[in-house]
Amino acid sequence: MLPTFDDFKPFIITGLSLGGVYAMSGVGIVVLYRATGVLNLAFGAIGAMGALISWTLINHTSTPDWVAYLACVAFGGLVMLGYGLIFGPPLARRDPLVKAVATLGLALILLGLMSWLWPPFGRTMLLPTADWGFDVDVVRVNVTQVIGFTFGVVLTLLVGTFLRYTKLGTAMRALANDREITATLGVPVRRVEAAAWFGSGLIAGVAGLLLSNLVALDAVTLTFLVISSLAAALIARLQSLLVTLVAGLVVGLATALLTPVLLWPTTEYSLSVFRGMAPFVIATVALLWLARRRTVSISRSGD
Amino acid sequence: MGDAERGIRSAWNRIQWHLERGTVARAVVIAAVLAFVLVAVPSLVSVYWVKIATAAAIFSIVALGLNLLFGRVGMVSLGQIALLALGSWVAARLFFATGLPFPVVLLLGGLITGVIGTLIGLPALRLGGLYLALITLMLAGAISIVLTHVDFPNGGSGFLGHTEATIEYPDVRRPSIAKADDAYFRYVVVVTVVMFLLGLAYVSSKTGRAWAAIRQSEPAALAAGVNITVYKLWAFALASFMTGVAGGLLAANEGKLYAEQFPTIDSITLLAVVLMGGIFSLWGAVAAGLLAKLLPALLDDWGVSPDFVIILFGVGILQVVVTAPGGLVDQMPKDVRRLGRLLARPLRRGESSPEQSA
Repeated sequence: MLPTFDDFKPFIITGLSLGGVYAMSGVGIVVLYRATGVLNLAFGAIGAMGALISWTLINHTSTPDWVAYLACVAFGGLVMLGYGLIFGPPLARRDPLVKAVATLGLALILLGLMSWLWPPFGRTMLLPTADWGFDVDVVRVNVTQVIGFTFGVVLTLLVGTFLRYTKLGTAMRALANDREITATLGVPVRRVEAAAWFGSGLIAGVAGLLLSNLVALDAVTLTFLVISSLAAALIARLQSLLVTLVAGLVVGLATALLTPVLLWPTTEYSLSVFRGMAPFVIATVALLWLARRRTVSISRSGD
Repeated sequence: MGDAERGIRSAWNRIQWHLERGTVARAVVIAAVLAFVLVAVPSLVSVYWVKIATAAAIFSIVALGLNLLFGRVGMVSLGQIALLALGSWVAARLFFATGLPFPVVLLLGGLITGVIGTLIGLPALRLGGLYLALITLMLAGAISIVLTHVDFPNGGSGFLGHTEATIEYPDVRRPSIAKADDAYFRYVVVVTVVMFLLGLAYVSSKTGRAWAAIRQSEPAALAAGVNITVYKLWAFALASFMTGVAGGLLAANEGKLYAEQFPTIDSITLLAVVLMGGIFSLWGAVAAGLLAKLLPALLDDWGVSPDFVIILFGVGILQVVVTAPGGLVDQMPKDVRRLGRLLARPLRRGESSPEQSA
């Protein structure tokens, strides 16, 4: 038995807002990958720790809320910048797979630190935007959700424009093509890479803050939410920002829209309880489609 | 002419003798260590540590799978713990549903996990290595979701074999010759040795050479007539098979299984210990098993928080990737030799100083 359209309505909003944040994270991941060849698997962990820092500042100090939110975003940018400055150069010539594995080291360090500093117990992050809202039809829409969706869309457009029309963006695209030749042309490679790390880190911070409000403020949950963004990035083959945006929205929508499907196919094993598998299923189907023609490339980027 | 021939022959004989002496000596040492582990270890330590040692042996099989994948073929799977859970599930289901002998169930569990793993890896294998890592990470997340809801078999009916009805349900059966903990430890070590011999046989065969060619350069391997997809698939199937067998051993070791025993983060710590152990030698997998199970238990014994172990593993990944790609088994002998030289230097200086002055 399938639910009626009215049952789905609230979940369209949830799905679009989550999808927007997934898309935003996906864009952050793709931009860094295109500029430095690093697929950052610690993206979720960085956002999670930023959100936890923000939570502590709000609940245990007299810091104004907006400073705490900024601290979360700044933490993302600084951690990624630091990592990029220390581990970027020695790994620059290594295989993309090795670079991705190295970021798992960062993820483990952050996970260990979070579990040590913030032992798991029910914390909630309540952004003031969650209280402001308006009604569409019968569904209550809060401002966090609006921000999630619009940030995703606007950020994709902004980053796309930035890469296309600015000098720094052009340098990043050149780096993505060939690091050596770009360096020969006089582009300050390290500085451009640092900018990519910092920018991507800021996005990780914002995504962590929004997801801690939209989903839950829990280190492990937030760390592995990166899977949904990775699915979006994967479907875009780590190249296209527009495809990342669309894929992120689709993943978010699919996950959310399965929530009210409680009685199908059976009550015990309904699609609702397995909705978390949506990113995996969508990415696998997309990969099957992408892999239908095989190419072997001998480019240095190794993709 | 005759002299030269004789010279070459004698040199060859010497090389051969060295080779044999080295191999024989190594085999003797390994056999001695193995005999010690099998006979003495269970009687020397308490039941708690026997259980830890069993877990370490089982984990070294899982590590062996990833060691072969990463070190020999250059592929990374981030879903090995999910496959381990799958192997445990299949083995537990078979134990409760059939009266098949233990080794047969292990084999079947391994084969079924191998087939499932291969089917999942298939779409990613044709794309780059990064895609396999990502798709297996997603798989790990997906399998943990399924297991949380489906739960492990506990003697119930139906395909899933899980029942909430009884609180007191039977443990997963152990082999009749190894019911007790120390006997089961010996059983696990023997299976582990068999798995390592299987890995060794593959590495030193035509398959191993094809893997090496693929790791060095895919286009070159392709040009040399190596069927890349088949050999990659074979490696993934072999690693999944080994993980499945380890899953069967784990099921019988734990007795009762829960989804919480297989968190997604463990797939990442597995990669960390495999890297830290060393991916270019099968011994690295042994080291990985010890690092993953023995080290946390030891540190816990000394009152160190498990969070610290996770941080340590994270630092380990970065350290290995940046400075020591050979891992512990490669680095340790070098460091020991260097330390030896450092310690010997004052002694040697003492010896040589009279000569120098003379």
